[in-house]
Amino acid sequence: MLEVLGRETSANVQKVRWLCEEIGLPYEHTNLGGPFGGTDTPEYLALNPNKRVPTIIDDGYVLWESNACVQYLASIHAEGSWWPTDAKIRGSAQRWMDFALGTLAPAHGPVFSGLIRTAPEKRNADAIAVGRDNFSAQLAIMDRYLGESEYIAGPDITMGDIGPAPFVYRWFNMPIEREDYPNLKRWYDSMAARPVFKKIVIDIGLQ
Amino acid sequence: MLRVIGRKTSSNVMKVLWACAELGLDFEREDLGGPFGGNDSPEYLALNPNGIVPTIVDDDFVLWESNSILRYLAHEHGHGTLWPTDARTRARAERWMDWQLSVLSPALGPVFRGLVRTPEAERDMAVIGKARDAAAGAMAILDRYLGETAFVGGPEFSMGDIPVGIGTYRWFALPIEREDFPNVKRWYNALTEREGYQEHIMLPME
Repeated sequence: MLEVLGRETSANVQKVRWLCEEIGLPYEHTNLGGPFGGTDTPEYLALNPNKRVPTIIDDGYVLWESNACVQYLASIHAEGSWWPTDAKIRGSAQRWMDFALGTLAPAHGPVFSGLIRTAPEKRNADAIAVGRDNFSAQLAIMDRYLGESEYIAGPDITMGDIGPAPFVYRWFNMPIEREDYPNLKRWYDSMAARPVFKKIVIDIGLQ
Repeated sequence: MLRVIGRKTSSNVMKVLWACAELGLDFEREDLGGPFGGNDSPEYLALNPNGIVPTIVDDDFVLWESNSILRYLAHEHGHGTLWPTDARTRARAERWMDWQLSVLSPALGPVFRGLVRTPEAERDMAVIGKARDAAAGAMAILDRYLGETAFVGGPEFSMGDIPVGIGTYRWFALPIEREDFPNVKRWYNALTEREGYQEHIMLPME
């Protein structure tokens, strides 16, 4: 059976579990990293030298980098739906996965780690404020785009929605000031209405 | 004809140019960004709301995010070469593309900007030194991996080698201390034999 290694509170692990459960792919989940530790053992480093989560093992095949894991699983189990077969729709979906990886996640990082994973007395309010502004600016880009598109890559949900959604959950649930992004809100509400998203992302909460 | 928008000194534009060379694709390139400006014009922002380069326009299809452009062009024009048809080989290649975006580039970026795009008097050598160490840590991971495989996706060159290959050129070209990474060196030497790499990547850094 497919193994998914990584703590359930990690947005990157959530991407992989979300896809698996949407497509009915059975998997065995092991919490690892963060408070669970185990990312610096020789056994784990042999699987993933970055000491990060997630890592997946599919019948002996080891893969890490969450977006690559999502694309791999979607391409073999959900071609034509989560992995779009139309090259332009797929290109657009991948674009937003890359945007989430290279832009949105780093922008949200200082806010999330500052407010959720740092004790109040140790918080750097200035860094959190600057981070919030940057996070918001990236979401403004998504909001404009979602004004013209139901889902991130077109009229149907795809793997492209998985990349940013766990971070957008955090935007709407962290104790921060939020600008009004109506298109983003509509899109996020459609994510939040999915039972799997509720189970894998919302019910885990901010940790 | 395929339009590629972005200055050729950008490592992200270089990915597209190198891929076009590997695929034998004709394209028209327009300078934009950096000293050329134009990123914040309404026309460009309508194509790419991030205001960064590259953006491609293929007929009427507009795409940005360099690694996604690379995947798109590889899939459309390079089945079995840049685009591995085996799902596991392709995923290995894509993993290293993501890794360039999430690990290598954030580590190497401050070194490059500090030493190449910042006047000497304004350089923060502590920041540069710390980033160099992070980049060396990333290269050590790549080196171990390349001890077991000729290219990052497997025995053949693929799209996966392109983003990491551009960062690696900078690693070897920057005036920094370098640990001995023999597997990276062997792989890098193989890249330097490719015409697209020579034409678009192995250039003075700006």
